[in-house]
Amino acid sequence: MLEIKDLYGGYGKITILNGVNCEIHTGAITTVIGPNGAGKSTVFKAIFGLLNVHSGAINFQGKNLVGMSPAQIIAEGVTYVPQGRNVVPQLSVYHNLELGGITAKDQSMVKRRIDEVMEIFPALREHQDRKAIDLSGGQQKQLEIARALLLDPKLMLIDEPSIGLSPNLVKEVFATLQRLRDNGVTVLMVEQNAKAALAMSDYGLVLELGQVRMHDKADVLLNDPRVGRLFLGGSMDEE
Amino acid sequence: MEQFFQVLLSGLATGSIYALAAIGFTLIWQAAQTVNFAQGEFVMLPAFFLLAGMHFLGMPFWMALIFGLLLAVFVLGFLFKRVLVDPLLKHGGLSLIIATMALAILMKESVKEFYSAEAQPFPEIVPNGSWDISGVIVSLTDISHLFISAVIVIGLQLFLNRTRTGRCMQATAQNPGVAEILGVNVKRMVLYTFLINGVLAALASFLITPVYLAKFSNGEYLGLIAFIAAIVGGFNQIRGALAGGLLIGVLDNMTATYITAEYRQAVPLLLLIAVILFRPQGLLGTSEGREA
Repeated sequence: MLEIKDLYGGYGKITILNGVNCEIHTGAITTVIGPNGAGKSTVFKAIFGLLNVHSGAINFQGKNLVGMSPAQIIAEGVTYVPQGRNVVPQLSVYHNLELGGITAKDQSMVKRRIDEVMEIFPALREHQDRKAIDLSGGQQKQLEIARALLLDPKLMLIDEPSIGLSPNLVKEVFATLQRLRDNGVTVLMVEQNAKAALAMSDYGLVLELGQVRMHDKADVLLNDPRVGRLFLGGSMDEE
Repeated sequence: MEQFFQVLLSGLATGSIYALAAIGFTLIWQAAQTVNFAQGEFVMLPAFFLLAGMHFLGMPFWMALIFGLLLAVFVLGFLFKRVLVDPLLKHGGLSLIIATMALAILMKESVKEFYSAEAQPFPEIVPNGSWDISGVIVSLTDISHLFISAVIVIGLQLFLNRTRTGRCMQATAQNPGVAEILGVNVKRMVLYTFLINGVLAALASFLITPVYLAKFSNGEYLGLIAFIAAIVGGFNQIRGALAGGLLIGVLDNMTATYITAEYRQAVPLLLLIAVILFRPQGLLGTSEGREA
């Protein structure tokens, strides 16, 4: 359903992506790993219309997303949770969720969906009238994920969800992503915490210098010594 | 005691008008990281739009008022953003700050050159007269100013909090990156903010000018007040700007009445120094500052 073909792109004149090619498995969790500066987050920005794409195509369900605005890409069923804190701090939890459906024409549907995602995340219902900034770090991440689910996406891009969370909360977030996968959402995740992320994923994808170096089942990557070297800061090509 | 209440009321009335300018200043800062040092001139100019409508275009007062308001929204909202802010913002805040200072001089000198260097009488928009409430003389003008400002501020707050567009504007101001990835039309929200600032500046202009007369140099003091009110209240929030404006209005009037009128203009500056020294985050601000 998502196929990236010969994708080149970057910031201004600096090229980060040097011909990315891959086909993401539908209904599975794929974790993108790779050293700093490999272009992991940059691929997400490219998919979501936030990057200057020089050439190539990003085909999602038969449509090329290159050149579309984030609002149009949302309408195609893609959602994006960037790294860091992404709540609107002074708005209530409820109104943060509402923003997740801001592009929808049918606002009664949005109200219904807010109710449904609050079923999945009971803590958010409990705190729905509090300002987002007053939630704990883990709850804020839940809010971001819940908000990203509002329009019932088919593909979720999630960048470094474990940053700043305690190990228990990371497990919770990972479990949430697995539940989404079981409900048919395709999840594409970037994680610094590569071993833990691969362990909960179906597939893994190694990105280095703006190119896909490996793309295989997650357990295959976990047991590959070259991947191990990569985690230790080396290159895959070293002997 | 009666005098105290009269001075307090008239301080609040003037302060509420300062607050309108300070709130606009804060909104522009939040939405576009623009410190608008021409904000005082933004309050000076609409009064001249109104006068021009009456004297050059022969409009009756109320029509000139609407004409002045619309022209202010177009020139100070739309044109300001398109001609000055959009091209300069990508070169960083400092270029833009200097540009707004230049704009202030341009507006001031243009009014002096093309309208008049003399102070112009300006029609009072609200009723004159006073009520005597058990010995306290209550000025109808003060009450009207306070009432109109309150309606505007409450209306603005309701718009920002109770409508989806208002909440999208808040999202844009508080976290523009997130607003964008949620599909909010960030550019349009920023434009709305500039238009609202145009409305606030025009209304402040129509309310304050009868007090000072319409003069090209009115913006110097008003701009300073708006700036100080915003900082004193806590730079990035509306209720801070409101509190700052009211506080300066009251202090200003109290000083003039009970201490000396000569130094009244120094009071806001002293207040600014005191706040920066002892409470740099502002009276209602929090020290964490803007969200990244």
